[in-house]
Amino acid sequence: MTDQGLKLLQNWMTSVVTERGGLNDKLLWAAERHGLLVEDVVTETCGLSAQKRLGIYVNGYVLRLLECMRADFPALRTFVGESIFDAFARAYIIGAPPKSPSLYDLSAGFPRFLQETKPDGGFLEPEITVLLDLPPEIARIERARAEVMRAPGIENDSPSTGTFLSFGMFNEAILLQVTPCLRLLDLKFPLVEFLRKLDQDDRPGPPAPQTSYVAIGRSNYRIHTQEIAFWQFAFLNACQLPVSLNSAVQRTAEQCGLEPASLFADLMVWLPIAIELGYLRKVS
Amino acid sequence: MRNDPQVDWFEIISENFMDNFGYARHVLERIASIRPIVMHGVSMSIGGADPLDWNYLNSLKTLADFVQPKWISDHLCWTGIAHVNTHDLLPMPLTEESLLHVIDRVRQVQDFLERPLVLENPSTYLQFKESTFPEWDFLSELAKETGCGLLLDVNNVYVSGFNHGFDPEHYIRNLPHSSIVQIHLAGPADCGQYLVDTHDQPVPTPVWHLYKLAQELTGGVSTLLEWDANIPDFPELVAELNKAGPVLNGAVPETSIHKLRDADVVSNPIDFQLVTHD
Repeated sequence: MTDQGLKLLQNWMTSVVTERGGLNDKLLWAAERHGLLVEDVVTETCGLSAQKRLGIYVNGYVLRLLECMRADFPALRTFVGESIFDAFARAYIIGAPPKSPSLYDLSAGFPRFLQETKPDGGFLEPEITVLLDLPPEIARIERARAEVMRAPGIENDSPSTGTFLSFGMFNEAILLQVTPCLRLLDLKFPLVEFLRKLDQDDRPGPPAPQTSYVAIGRSNYRIHTQEIAFWQFAFLNACQLPVSLNSAVQRTAEQCGLEPASLFADLMVWLPIAIELGYLRKVS
Repeated sequence: MRNDPQVDWFEIISENFMDNFGYARHVLERIASIRPIVMHGVSMSIGGADPLDWNYLNSLKTLADFVQPKWISDHLCWTGIAHVNTHDLLPMPLTEESLLHVIDRVRQVQDFLERPLVLENPSTYLQFKESTFPEWDFLSELAKETGCGLLLDVNNVYVSGFNHGFDPEHYIRNLPHSSIVQIHLAGPADCGQYLVDTHDQPVPTPVWHLYKLAQELTGGVSTLLEWDANIPDFPELVAELNKAGPVLNGAVPETSIHKLRDADVVSNPIDFQLVTHD
């Protein structure tokens, strides 16, 4: 029997719990890798075999994380169905065991996983193939929404950072910056209305592919998910770091091929709304 | 939160609030303003062979500065190795090497947090052949050497006792009672050959008997009811907790252990860590 130090036993058990395959496959693999046989490691008492005892931890590991992922992607689950969602989530969990002490981080890589593992669709009709991009895009927007829920927001800002003199501000030398809780997405489908219906347990048909831009912000602890125009998307991106209103407008105008004067006019209407929704704020 | 909370104090799962600046943090701030809070963690991995996770400990301390908790607790367990976190409370090999390892880590954590750590006995489903200590002796030595507090989960004692064939009363009688600062109550599930710590049922009669014994031996310490899955309405939770007082006078409820198919069981459930959208 091998000398069983703490590190060896923990490596062995982590392998058994997290490796892919059935329990027997896991035990064989762990025995090969760590030189330990289950009957030499685990005590059998009360008529319960060592395998059965390990199985409690093995089954609990995947089920526990699967429950967490189900909670993170309710709309995606509704769209693809429980069994397909579970199959992909299980593959994700087994392929990339969690490393963070926070379960909140578990799902961070799932949208990318779905994108990287989607079928190539070469054998399908083009209009069907394009829909294979839809699950990863739904996952992206759901993950972004979860991030906005937890990120630092503007709820504790002093009133002066959130209020604008709507006309006077354009003459002030103010700096703007997006809030830490803003998430901007460029998506392959218009998903805001689609997501709203899925949230209500409707089963909407898949939207036609079309580039769309989405801002997700938070104010008074409420999440605001809105489809925005490209110039608004570009403007918010121009405000990732503290920037003067003038500079942000100039950059956005160049990127969008618009006249700065026309942008200023649009911002007169939209900027107070964007601030109200927690997208950006004045900084000193 | 407009009404009286009807309980003396609350316990939070630390990891749910670390680096969380959303509505949950707002609610926590409100609750902390009206009742004492205890921070109870599940990811410190105090028994892990990996180095201590100082990023985790920094976040924990930052949260403690915000919450000003009465205690900071975690479990005598490990959660993974090579930076993998299984999000389970895995059982320790109870050896001399493990004891020295955990003593050293508890001392480091206590120095960093500038307060005693409190450690809970977990429910376990396997024991290592390499173990040379019973769990009560391991915890006793740990408390003696580090000055850490003990969080006695009487349900976990019952579950582990059933699963491993030891006498739960013997376990409780052989702990250092002056080190016990808090007691957890919960309801397990009966899977036939073994019990699982599901935290989703009323407290069964045998666990209430252990609770009475523990309170007699400690002279009376704070009690927390854990109910993390299939959570009933708050009044029902409070009613379950309020059974604790009469139990001390011998009025032990007759409650059987919930039976379950083992295929569906998740020990150490995480429902309390799941977030829904508004």
